[in-house]
Amino acid sequence: MLDIGVIKGVISKIPYIKKVISLKKDEFFIYGKIEILFEGLEKPLSFKFQIFPQYPLKSYDSESIRFINKDLLKYNHVMKDGSICIHTSYNTNIRKKLLIDFNSLKSWIEKYYINNDEDKKYEHIIVSPSLIHNKYYSYIFTDVDYKFKKGDYGEVKLSLLANGIYKEANIANYLVKSFSTQNGEKTECYWNKMYKKNPLTDNGFYVFIEKHPAEYNKFAFKKFNKLETYIPSAFLDLLHKFEKYNLKNSKDIIVPMFIGYTTVESEIHWQVALLEIGNFPIKEEYEKKDKILVPIRKLTDQDIKWAITRNASYKYFFGRGTLVTKITNAKILVIGVGAIGSMIAKVLVKGGCRFVDIADYDIKEPENICRSEYLFNTGITDKVYELQQILLTNSPFVEINIFKKEYFEEIIKIFSTDLRDREHFASKLNEYDIIFDCTTDNDLMYVLNLLELNCDLINLSITNHAKELVCAFSPNIDHFVNTQFEKLLDNDIDDLYEPIGCWSPTFKASYADISVLVQMAMKQINLIYEKNKARNNFIIRTEDDNVFTVRIEEY
Amino acid sequence: MEETKQAYLQEVLETYRMSHIEDLVNKYKSRRDEVKEVLEEKYTGDIYSPINSGSFAKHTAINSKFDLDIAVPFKRDSFKTIEKMFDDVFGFLNAKYKDKATIRKQKVSIGIEFFADKDGDNISLDIVPGRELNKEQYPDDKNMNLYVNSKYGVIEKKTYIQTNIQAQIDHIKAKENERKIIRLLKIWKTSNSEKYKSFLLELLAIKAFEKESISGNLWEKLKAVMQYIQNNVAKEGFTLKDPGNSNNNVVETLETWERDNLSSKMKIIINHIEKNDDKIKLYFPKNSEFDDNDHSSNGSGYGIKGTTIASSIPPNNQRFGN
Repeated sequence: MLDIGVIKGVISKIPYIKKVISLKKDEFFIYGKIEILFEGLEKPLSFKFQIFPQYPLKSYDSESIRFINKDLLKYNHVMKDGSICIHTSYNTNIRKKLLIDFNSLKSWIEKYYINNDEDKKYEHIIVSPSLIHNKYYSYIFTDVDYKFKKGDYGEVKLSLLANGIYKEANIANYLVKSFSTQNGEKTECYWNKMYKKNPLTDNGFYVFIEKHPAEYNKFAFKKFNKLETYIPSAFLDLLHKFEKYNLKNSKDIIVPMFIGYTTVESEIHWQVALLEIGNFPIKEEYEKKDKILVPIRKLTDQDIKWAITRNASYKYFFGRGTLVTKITNAKILVIGVGAIGSMIAKVLVKGGCRFVDIADYDIKEPENICRSEYLFNTGITDKVYELQQILLTNSPFVEINIFKKEYFEEIIKIFSTDLRDREHFASKLNEYDIIFDCTTDNDLMYVLNLLELNCDLINLSITNHAKELVCAFSPNIDHFVNTQFEKLLDNDIDDLYEPIGCWSPTFKASYADISVLVQMAMKQINLIYEKNKARNNFIIRTEDDNVFTVRIEEY
Repeated sequence: MEETKQAYLQEVLETYRMSHIEDLVNKYKSRRDEVKEVLEEKYTGDIYSPINSGSFAKHTAINSKFDLDIAVPFKRDSFKTIEKMFDDVFGFLNAKYKDKATIRKQKVSIGIEFFADKDGDNISLDIVPGRELNKEQYPDDKNMNLYVNSKYGVIEKKTYIQTNIQAQIDHIKAKENERKIIRLLKIWKTSNSEKYKSFLLELLAIKAFEKESISGNLWEKLKAVMQYIQNNVAKEGFTLKDPGNSNNNVVETLETWERDNLSSKMKIIINHIEKNDDKIKLYFPKNSEFDDNDHSSNGSGYGIKGTTIASSIPPNNQRFGN
């Protein structure tokens, strides 16, 4: 537990702490109040502070010491309760940590209180989401091809994405599908086809007010009437009419009201205030106009119940890292979606690729799951249909089409001897920018080689125990791969896994064994595209005699 | 070890000898003679005698991939422009052979690919029409202007290029060592699907022999040539004069990054082979069709390690991952 004597000892020696006004300890916390004065400050600045019992350790990503002054709300990095938002260095020594934290407070005073510094980085306004009937609501939006103007209002179409648990309460997560303006103009959000087709489940309203709906541009308004000056009266009329019309049949139903504003670089953001039918924050007043009393609708001082909103546009969804744009913008086909192929497809989709088509004739069995991207809860399925769903659930920005299963197993092999048919196949496959052949089918490799494709063809396969991964680029695939497997690699085909019940031995390797190679191969392929390097074939070799090592050998 | 590689490379060259496909070569020759005859008949008075050119004439051909080239020297006043000459030859050959072959306009030549015969062989010929530079000078200087089909190649803006096919052939005459290395580089190029032009590799090999004292066994010579390419091809100021036209620097047909890639590729190959002799088989494979030592069981011709006995056991070359 915290020792108040230690705290007292340390802060009494800090030169810029002019006065310790109070210092006390209850069962868990230490509370105090100090005055700070140093050169640059005209008069002493007082702060309450609170030290949590876990101090000097952090909890929930926050410091376990808080400095509070409610008079400083307008300054940067001051939270609504007046606490200064600081993140300081890690230290487990309580004395050192106290010095670090008080010095951070001093730095904040210099930077933001004295110098009034503006941060270059934009920070979202602070919104505390509300529980309504023990449930949170979230709304996920993306870009649209429409430029909202101040005063625009209309309807929002929503689709329930999933119910879940958020901070140990229920949450309903919605996807914003489209906006319809007051003039009836509809604009769809840039989700992929699958999410666009999601069934419509709810409606809401939007109003674009341009400015932040917040005090000091950072604390979301608490009361509806704070929005009064921003909202056109016609929008209030619309809400009023809607409530009146639905009052009988839909009382207490939650209706989200999207409030839009501009952030940085003309980007827009939405906050959602939750309205309950039967309790809309609208009142009717009468005003004299030309000596006649006319009804005017106004917002009441009802508390705003804010929902959670997130901008999940491509830029933010993939903001933390993608593959290089030459790959993400490419039209890609993955043939063979077993262990390697399903991993490649998933890496591509998680890497931000927008077009990834897949081809495979095979069925997913329960025993495939442990070393591929497939799921157990879907049972026995065609691999392509399951993988399509998995990939689409990973990214709302990728389109996944499925190739006819006969194409690579029958059609292309039967007709590959005919020059004109070959030209036809080549022209179809050349619609892709990159094709990954993960089938390990030597005959298909031979046929694809015959087609002399203009697109990039990349062939991937591994040896037993995932000792090596062989990656070959067109046009040097057939000869390279065959020579490696037939003459150079030490591919152990004696120690295979033989399932009971059917004779179909397969290689032995775990998910980790395979994925470490696949991920490394994708890193190398990404580098080749990024640096426009020669598409040199490569082999990834592993050694696990003492320490596991992986190295790439370029050819 | 060096001796092993030397012996292996000798065997490689042996498997690519044209003599292995004498019957096929005869078919080519007979087609070539036939086309020569029809051209002489059609353009009698407008052309000098067509000459055999290309790798066959230079004795650098390999049996896995080759075609026969015929250079057709037109007289200065046969056509108003060399484009008209090129189009006329294409039109004539197309009319003459369209039912027997696919005729294509290529960069400086017209390709004739005869449909497969009863043995399944496709004979292909490249016809290179050229026009003498000055009236009646061809018999003396052998200089010609070739039409450059603009949709091909890097010299897109030019419509013609000067060359001297005879000088190109003479350039490699009596250079037995160089020829062997050129053939090995062509084996590397074709089996590893490299895009580099044979003519470029040929000039690089000849220049390496001129500039360096290259000796030793076949592997040592090949390695020395590859090291020369590695050290020089990407260098600023490096030139490769076309013996048919000294103004034509053939290395300029490569972009800077392609020169860098060729240099690094040579380095990679040398390193791999120096570390592991077996890797020589990857870069310079034997032509399995004519390899007496190829005992592979499946006829794929790659000498698979071990043999496949029971039909239900995966072959040694089994790839995994799907």
